[in-house]
Amino acid sequence: MSWWRWLAMLAVIACPVRAAAQGTGFVHRLEVTGGIGYFTGAALGTADATLRANAVSPQTFTLFTTDTTIHGSVTGELRVGTWLTRRIGVEGRLGYGRPDVATSVHADAEGAAAIAVVERIDQFVIDAGILFRLDEMRIGQLVPFAGGGAGYLRQVHEGLALIEDGHVYHLGGGVSRDLVTRAHGIVRAAGLRADARVYFLSGGVSVTDRTTTHGSFTGDLFVRF
Amino acid sequence: MQFSVDVSGKTVPLRWQTVPVRWYASGQGTAADVTAPQFQLAVARAFDTWQNVPTASVGFNFAGFTSAEPLDEDGISVLGFSNEPDMDRVLGATAFVVDDITGELLESDIFFNSVFPWSTSETGVTGRFDLQSVATHEIGHLVGLGHSALGETDIRPTGGRRVIASGAVMFPIAMAAGTTADRTLQPDDVAGVSNAYPDAGFASRTGSISGRVLLNGRPVFGAHVVAFDLQTGELVGAFSLTAQGEFVIAGLRPGAHIIRVEPLDDADLESFFDESQSVRVDFRPVFYSRLVGVPAGGAPPRFDVSVTPK
Repeated sequence: MSWWRWLAMLAVIACPVRAAAQGTGFVHRLEVTGGIGYFTGAALGTADATLRANAVSPQTFTLFTTDTTIHGSVTGELRVGTWLTRRIGVEGRLGYGRPDVATSVHADAEGAAAIAVVERIDQFVIDAGILFRLDEMRIGQLVPFAGGGAGYLRQVHEGLALIEDGHVYHLGGGVSRDLVTRAHGIVRAAGLRADARVYFLSGGVSVTDRTTTHGSFTGDLFVRF
Repeated sequence: MQFSVDVSGKTVPLRWQTVPVRWYASGQGTAADVTAPQFQLAVARAFDTWQNVPTASVGFNFAGFTSAEPLDEDGISVLGFSNEPDMDRVLGATAFVVDDITGELLESDIFFNSVFPWSTSETGVTGRFDLQSVATHEIGHLVGLGHSALGETDIRPTGGRRVIASGAVMFPIAMAAGTTADRTLQPDDVAGVSNAYPDAGFASRTGSISGRVLLNGRPVFGAHVVAFDLQTGELVGAFSLTAQGEFVIAGLRPGAHIIRVEPLDDADLESFFDESQSVRVDFRPVFYSRLVGVPAGGAPPRFDVSVTPK
């Protein structure tokens, strides 16, 4: 028997064994996940304060210039989801962070000292998405998954005076690992999960109308019921 | 800033209680190269500019030509040319008749100084002052608005000031002859007329900020406070107007704002305040250290801006 025949036979035998070892007990079970992570910042844009120059043809006079950035921040998150099938799952997520929005104000025409104007905002991201379990790519007990989704952005300024809304879209993936599994009882499993996502934010605190791109990296503990 | 009068010890903003405001064009004064119909049409366009502000409810009606002259106290609001050679730095001026019991505007006349060369050309004429632009400024006064300090000037070697740039039609010094820029209202002008004559939803769609300006812990009267909308680039200004150094800027679009405070040093103080009022200009321009979020229909917490001496 040639080597490739051995390989094909091994694959036929190995796949059911792995599937059997993994089981399907997680399907239709509620998973509650909580953890912390980091949501990266982004440049929000440049805006100049301009006056109309005293000229016959329209020209502007720059009174001062601003560059605004939303800084990265530690985030807490809570997810609730379920696997609809062995491969496809759905989940909802609430993420909360307190990033600084910093505006560098400079080049004042009358010599006002340059300054970094800062405000700490409350940022809520509520999103829902679909997950694809990638059993073929598992590494030991680490099960990779990929997914994407969309949601709602809510940014609340200091003093709760101003709320700015927007939308989020995300793509990403991660790995999960069951640490404890049980065949009976309310809690059927507990484990760890790590996610890396790319978020696209539109609206919210912004200087221009363009979408900003952020990375999100989280580590979570999940409990399956 | 709105003009105001003291009524029984209370400061009352000047405004028309009855709108539309009826106005007449004077057939008495003339200016070279401007016919009476050209005058009326240019001024009517300037009235339309204010009337067409979507967030304000002020309106005007042209009542006809009259033999009356501007500045006559005759119960009608008259606009026209007047030959005022002694006023060699005044393009135009607005006068009021006010009910000193209620603060209601009863009559307001505007004269344009025919000593200067004028134009009603659509595109402006080099060396001539654009009548529509100057009329737009004066009609701002007619509705009760005072001067805006959103502008930069320098001192002419021959005396007086030259405008470098302006952020409001209501800036007290006109742009150079030939320009037509002041035919178009700026956000500061729109906020001013909308605050004075708000339409039904203006207050709920916009927000305000308030606070104090302090120098070495003591209140500053007459500081110019400007709110810069980070998203739209709009600039809206006001002054600290109380003995406690308090200011209020209303009519702001909801969103994040940068606050800048500067001394009133780009125009004569008399363009803004009575001589009796002690305006402090001995401090440096400064930015407030926090970003200020302005909500729709409300205001963020009051804040203090500390300035440093020059």
